[in-house]
Amino acid sequence: MKKILSLLVVLTLIFAMTGCSSKPDEPEKAADKPAEPSQAEAEATQTAPEDMTVGFIYVGPIGDGGYTYAHDQGRLYLEEKLGVKTIYKESVPETQEVEQEIRNMVDQGAKAIFTTSFGHMDYTEKMSKEFPDVAFFHCSGYKTTENMSNYFGRMYEARYLSGIVAGMKTQSNEIGYVAAFPIPEVIRGINAFTLGVQSVNPDAVVKVVWTSTWYDPAKEKEAAISLLDQGVDIIAQHQDTTGPQQAAEERGAFSIGYNTDMSTMAPKAYMTAPVWNWGPYYVAQVQNVLDGTFKSEAYWGGMKDDVVKLAPLTENAPAGAAEAVDAATAKILDGSLAVFAGPILNQAGEVAVEEGKTLTDEEMLNMMWFVKGVEGKIE
Amino acid sequence: MQEEVFVQMNDICKTFGSVRANYNINFSVNKGEIHALLGENGAGKSTLMNMLSGIYKPDSGSIFIHGKEVKFNSPKDAINQKIGMIHQHYKLVEVQSAKANIILGQAGSLFVNEKKISSEIKAISTNYGIPIDPDKKVYNMSIGEKQSVEILKVLYQGADILIMDEPTAVLTPQETEKLFKIIRNMAKEGCAVIIITHKLHEVMAISDRVTVLHKGTTVATVKTKASSPKELTDLMVGKSVNLSIQRPQVKRGNAALKVADLMAYDQDKVKVLDGVSFDLFEGEILGVAGVVGSGQKELCEAIAGLYTVESGSIIYNDENILGLSPRAIIKRGITMSFIPEDRLGMGLVASMDMVDNYLLKAHHNQKGVFLKRKPIMTKCEHMIDQLEIKTPGVHHPIKQLSGGNIQKVLIGREIETNPHVLITAYAVRGLDIGASHTIYDLINDQKQKGVAILFIGEDLDVLLELCDRIMVLCDGRITGIVKSDTVTKEDLGLMMAGEAISC
Amino acid sequence: MLRMVKRTDMTSNKASLIRVLSILFALITAGLFIAIMGHNPIKVYSAMFMGAFGSTFRIKDTLIIAIPLILTSVGIMIAFKMKFWNIGGEGQILMGAFFASFIALNFDTLPKPLLLLMMFIAGFIGGGLWALLPAFLKVKFDTNETIITLMLNYIAIKWITYLQYGPWKDPKSMGFPKIANFSDAAILPKVFGIHMGWIITLVIVVIVSVMMKYSKKGYEISVVGESMDTAKYSGINVNRVILGALFVSGGICGIVGMIEASAVNQTLSASLSAGYGFTAIITTWLSALNAAVIIPVSILFAAMIKGGSFIQTAFQIPQAAANILQSIILFFVIGSEFFVQYKLVLKSSKKEGSV
Repeated sequence: MKKILSLLVVLTLIFAMTGCSSKPDEPEKAADKPAEPSQAEAEATQTAPEDMTVGFIYVGPIGDGGYTYAHDQGRLYLEEKLGVKTIYKESVPETQEVEQEIRNMVDQGAKAIFTTSFGHMDYTEKMSKEFPDVAFFHCSGYKTTENMSNYFGRMYEARYLSGIVAGMKTQSNEIGYVAAFPIPEVIRGINAFTLGVQSVNPDAVVKVVWTSTWYDPAKEKEAAISLLDQGVDIIAQHQDTTGPQQAAEERGAFSIGYNTDMSTMAPKAYMTAPVWNWGPYYVAQVQNVLDGTFKSEAYWGGMKDDVVKLAPLTENAPAGAAEAVDAATAKILDGSLAVFAGPILNQAGEVAVEEGKTLTDEEMLNMMWFVKGVEGKIE
Repeated sequence: MQEEVFVQMNDICKTFGSVRANYNINFSVNKGEIHALLGENGAGKSTLMNMLSGIYKPDSGSIFIHGKEVKFNSPKDAINQKIGMIHQHYKLVEVQSAKANIILGQAGSLFVNEKKISSEIKAISTNYGIPIDPDKKVYNMSIGEKQSVEILKVLYQGADILIMDEPTAVLTPQETEKLFKIIRNMAKEGCAVIIITHKLHEVMAISDRVTVLHKGTTVATVKTKASSPKELTDLMVGKSVNLSIQRPQVKRGNAALKVADLMAYDQDKVKVLDGVSFDLFEGEILGVAGVVGSGQKELCEAIAGLYTVESGSIIYNDENILGLSPRAIIKRGITMSFIPEDRLGMGLVASMDMVDNYLLKAHHNQKGVFLKRKPIMTKCEHMIDQLEIKTPGVHHPIKQLSGGNIQKVLIGREIETNPHVLITAYAVRGLDIGASHTIYDLINDQKQKGVAILFIGEDLDVLLELCDRIMVLCDGRITGIVKSDTVTKEDLGLMMAGEAISC
Repeated sequence: MLRMVKRTDMTSNKASLIRVLSILFALITAGLFIAIMGHNPIKVYSAMFMGAFGSTFRIKDTLIIAIPLILTSVGIMIAFKMKFWNIGGEGQILMGAFFASFIALNFDTLPKPLLLLMMFIAGFIGGGLWALLPAFLKVKFDTNETIITLMLNYIAIKWITYLQYGPWKDPKSMGFPKIANFSDAAILPKVFGIHMGWIITLVIVVIVSVMMKYSKKGYEISVVGESMDTAKYSGINVNRVILGALFVSGGICGIVGMIEASAVNQTLSASLSAGYGFTAIITTWLSALNAAVIIPVSILFAAMIKGGSFIQTAFQIPQAAANILQSIILFFVIGSEFFVQYKLVLKSSKKEGSV
């Protein structure tokens, strides 16, 4: 017991020594000046980019080659364009750790914080109330507060296009879809993809498997293999890693990626992917904060805003797909094609969207049903 | 004949922390000699032998083996110098045959030449007169046979210097005789044998020379023939001692405990108590003799409520206490005290102080949630005075006391409750002569108070001197209950081996 | 050729020296690692320290991590005193949280003090029952408690996961597998800026210390821990002591679950135990099973967790690397205990060659 005490004393001393001997460096400097109300009261005043710290909270590691990687590319773009300082924390689970990390970042001087996973939403909301002077941006959710925007992209548009490629390619008329959670975002993507498939190949069906994880390379790959075992010849995914791509590559099947261009991960399988392009949005929003003109909003950018797009088709894509995609892209951009325009049947074959009607954003954001052609259940 | 010196230890010193275990010890053993190492507990015998067998390294001093100076870093080094130690607790693999145990740990080729080894073992066993069946499994062996395997094992390793730590502790007189024959054969064949013991009559019977240690130093090395038990005892204790044990005459009272037809089985469904019946009277000491493992432990624990018995009865105060839990027995105020054989493993908590050890049983009778240590402290201080317990204080951990003082604490605690029945198992095991006599006196005091005492012992001489009657157990059966005035040691030995003798 | 030899000559001065050296070595080794990653070790260390204690806010955050560590350590200490190796703290935390959440989610109309009290009791019972299971198996069938408590952790995690994905999924979460947030009534209030779990913790530490030292039950636990045979001999009902002690041990872990669910997560989730059940094993052990020492040791560990997290964002050190840093320090500190007990000697390999 005496020994333990002495150990503790020593530990404390060492901590204290290192703590005292060093000159305060950047993070501490930031900590010396926490975001005090008085400072941020001056709403309209501009902030110099070099005084600006922007925090990013990621659900996966930046090396996932997928979702988080796409966000991190946006962060790097932001740093390059505006010269602001950015900090990030990877692999933050969808638990109260989000709160801790937000507090850490505010403590380190962050004036704008981006949280990037659906499950970060409630914690971000809570923190936005605790730190009214910090601008919060939450990706993929639906809540906003005075100082918390939510932002996302109309990924379903790009997914629809990728569906066209898959629909033209499939031989077995069965396409596999590895999906994370049965939440509207994912369901919407599956529906849009299926509509794209059926627009060129009405007989094809899309089989869905849930993994209950955003980020788990092994599990995602396993799910893809189980789909391939059931006879699908194309794998699409709503996951953050390249696991499903690798499964398709190994089995000699074809694949549609997600998040980023995954052509290097599965050169023989990969055809295209609906991808994110966060950079411009991040630059615009942080500029608003710098200018003191930040206002919370619900942002849902589409292809015409360049937030989402379809990655270039590889040579694995079927002949004629490029033309079909281009045609559809043009129509989406000029507004003549809406993905969720009636008539759309649901899984039971009933009319879900009547002819002449198009789903509103509200309806799309709360989508909890599958269109005809999807094989799977919303659990 | 020029005597060849096998072992020569010069000016050996070894300290543990602040304890000086060995100080300038000189010790030598010749070829063909049986050398007894005598000393009280804590005199430094084990430390010295552990250095000879490579377990400890001396702080200073030198060891010569076969005339060459050696420095041992591990027991392996000692084995390479032909030194073999036979420990008190056998280190055999029960499920293996004798042969497998003998070759265990031997360096050698990947493949074992069974035939060659069998013939080698046979050769050694005939050479030294050690009867053994190489293919017999150890679990089928008697204690004596197991010991033979241990001896063969070190001989097979090529040892010509054998160290035996209390080799007779678990043997019947007859088995002891056989062992002595083997030891004499080994000496004749040119081995040097060192026996650690504290049984004086054995020293006299077997050894050529005796080295007596006292408090970590060599007191004397004497020729056995030129010495006497009295002289050796005085050397060992460091003062003149009266060796005889008192047996006060007390009028026998009523039967305090009536045990009838106890039957018990162990985990493997082997009978450990087989129809044990006896009466224990107030004011008498009933000794229990028997080879270790004959059912003594089970008998004691059955009476104390610790061992589950198949059938039978134990009547105390007209009540059958069989099946009651120890707590129930304590709670009912039945003043029965059991001094178990395993002092620190059962009777006391080694790391706790005297007060907390005193509380072991007493705390059941305290009221409320919290312990009351204050009154116990006074009692403990009183006990220290009365029993002359040597301890730095009541709050000193028990395990740091010497064996005798630990035993005094244990007995002191039990007699403090004014017991009506006192059960003691191996009350003096590991104690030196002085301490043993203190314990005998304490037990005799209780007898004079009219307490009924069951005394489980291992030294037949002590049993014969101390007890009024002796009950002999063999394989869980009573082979005789005899008056100690009228029985001989040889008769007891025969009964321990299973022969019923009517006296 | 090295051999380990048990030390017979350890003085407390020597032991302290070894421990100091081990920390120095840890800092040097970890420093090398930091330098390889291209950072200044001194800066990183001071940032780690500042990250844990550099401001009131950070101290609060560190304490918020320390609270569950202290309480879990105290809980499993009771079992450890009995040499019952309860490494099921993780599961007991979760089951405590589960019981407390059941109350929080179903009786949220009750007045706040009553609701919190009920959650507290429920948490205690939940953790206690989860620890009672291995204790029962131990006394009844003499099963190995280490394996059983460990396995029960995983069962508890999977059970909460099942609730999260199935029956308890918040219908308002639009399909996302999360359990509904507690209402305000079910959230522990703050005292001096930190949730009042710290008061609960201090009270429990004091009660447990006193009970272990001065009560009959605490005394019996120590006796059972020191020697089962002695306990039986002295008339202690060993089975009852084991069952009772484990119920309290698990119960305290269950309270941790209640506090974490109520004050920190404000909901139930499978990741709520955050590894406290395992880290507490180390802190308990390093505290030599002494309730008073558990507090500073746990705070130090919390500081290491917090400081390690801080440097990740401050220096953009990858999470894996920050974990390696923590592990290096832990490795040396725990490893030093080996050198307190043993020493290594060079084997003289002259004659040994043939062996």
